[in-house]
Amino acid sequence: MTETLKLSMEGIVKRFGGVVALDHVDFELRRGEVMALVGDNGAGKSTLIKTLAGAHMADEGVMRLDGEPVRFTSPQDAWSRGVATIFQELALAGKMTIADNIFLGREITRSVAGIPFLDRRAMHRRSRELLEELDVHVPDIHTWVEYLSGGQRQGVAIARALNIDADVIVMDEPTAALAVAEVRKVLEFIKTLRRQGKSVILISHNVQDVFEVSDRITVLRRGQRIGLLETQKTTPEEVVGYITGAAETKRRPVAAG
Amino acid sequence: MWTTLTSEASDARNRASVISRPIRIGREVLLLIALGVLVAIFASQSEFFLSERNLTTILRNSVDLAVVCAGMTIVIILGGIDVSVGGIVAVSAVLIGRAYQYDMPDMVVVPIGLAAGAALGAMNGAIIAKSRVPPIVATLGTMYIFIAVLFLVIGGVWISGLPNTLSFLVLGELFGLPSGLFVIGAIYGLSWLMLRRTPWGQRVVAIGCDEHAARLVGIRVDRTKIQAYALLGLFAGLAAVLYVARLRNVEVNIGTNIALEAIAATILGGANIRGGIGSLLGTLMGVLFIKMTQNGLVLIGVSSLWETVVIGGLLIVVLVLDALETRRTS
Repeated sequence: MTETLKLSMEGIVKRFGGVVALDHVDFELRRGEVMALVGDNGAGKSTLIKTLAGAHMADEGVMRLDGEPVRFTSPQDAWSRGVATIFQELALAGKMTIADNIFLGREITRSVAGIPFLDRRAMHRRSRELLEELDVHVPDIHTWVEYLSGGQRQGVAIARALNIDADVIVMDEPTAALAVAEVRKVLEFIKTLRRQGKSVILISHNVQDVFEVSDRITVLRRGQRIGLLETQKTTPEEVVGYITGAAETKRRPVAAG
Repeated sequence: MWTTLTSEASDARNRASVISRPIRIGREVLLLIALGVLVAIFASQSEFFLSERNLTTILRNSVDLAVVCAGMTIVIILGGIDVSVGGIVAVSAVLIGRAYQYDMPDMVVVPIGLAAGAALGAMNGAIIAKSRVPPIVATLGTMYIFIAVLFLVIGGVWISGLPNTLSFLVLGELFGLPSGLFVIGAIYGLSWLMLRRTPWGQRVVAIGCDEHAARLVGIRVDRTKIQAYALLGLFAGLAAVLYVARLRNVEVNIGTNIALEAIAATILGGANIRGGIGSLLGTLMGVLFIKMTQNGLVLIGVSSLWETVVIGGLLIVVLVLDALETRRTS
């Protein structure tokens, strides 16, 4: 079992002053798996993801990547180890082109007289490849990112992660502010990533989306993991019950959606 | 890869993107038209305006402002601003003047001027990056310090009678063209390469677009900011060298108008005060517009006060158009 895990977190504790945001949380992710991470506001999803992404340091607990203990000191540190977190704000520069964004901070250069000049041709070629692999449709690689739709922007952000050969991709509420057709597209991106053997963590409020793409579901409640469910063997009602606390399940049977 | 789009929403956005480019190029075209109108007005009022001698004079008067503006464009694209550049030019010029008075050769004097400018610029950058004070406030503060330094050193008396060994940089000719043209060409060529052809330029634009995003992708924001302000300072130091080379003295009111003219030229040239966007070519045309207005109004005998009215008015029109454009797209 252990050898198939891409990533695991054991007994993670994170405190902010007197508040225990994460209380001995365990988390695991297999290779080529889409793991949904759900929970109500304040359940600890963001804290867990920020710990995983290197934005927070855990107070206790161990994190393993491919079985080896790791400790990320910054998001860049996590990225360099192949764990790419795409935060809700996407970290895209609106007034730069798609290709420039994919390579932002990691440009391909060609040295002329010792000075590193941008190799735009190589960056464009690679960008086209990445977008094609992911089946992102954009009008032109030279378009400013601020003129793209929400789904296309998600595509660019994912392409950036693929460019550094990330094999764990964490997506924080990727479908939150999107139109229906765009949501479909983003869910397709996630399925494409799984086909490529990538491991995906999907944080979402939308139980419907979770059921469409995930293999397993981790439920957090009040800083604890209270459920690890196989998507095939559970129902939206059960998941909502875990999220809201079993007592409330009967009163709110179809809060999903 | 021109592929079809998936949804109507993105279709609409694409139409917007197709329009966006002509608008950006449009600024330079607009400025060209404005320059044409300006030239037509002045030429019809004064036959001297289009003479070779007057055009050379306009160019010579533009060199120091143009050099400063290349740096200002980069700083504004970064999302910053520097209202202290006049102070940097002044302090550098005073040091250059004093160094000449101690009989130091150009080989020593010029590096002193450039290094002083770069150091003061780097200081601005460090204050802005580390304290997170808004750049306009931080540089307003340093401007007062620089002006105080100027008066402490110069003591209210002009430094004059400086050597003319570098005058050829502004007043000379090369291949039958005014040498200032080559100075401007070199500085703008270099700036353009840095801004548009190197990873450093990508970092500058990214910070100007969204500083938080730039940090998230691992860009060293503070370092890039300090470098950009230092570059502007270096150019201000060079402007001081050129100023002294041209006029061979250092006045007590040196640099008073440079900051405002530089910001005006850059904004007129298409840079967005919120960062991310700017055009070196546009800025250069903005410089030309300002300097032609100053020259032309004097030639046709209009009080030079009107010059500031024209530039200020135009600046407001441009800023309002920018604001409307931003409201429309967001």
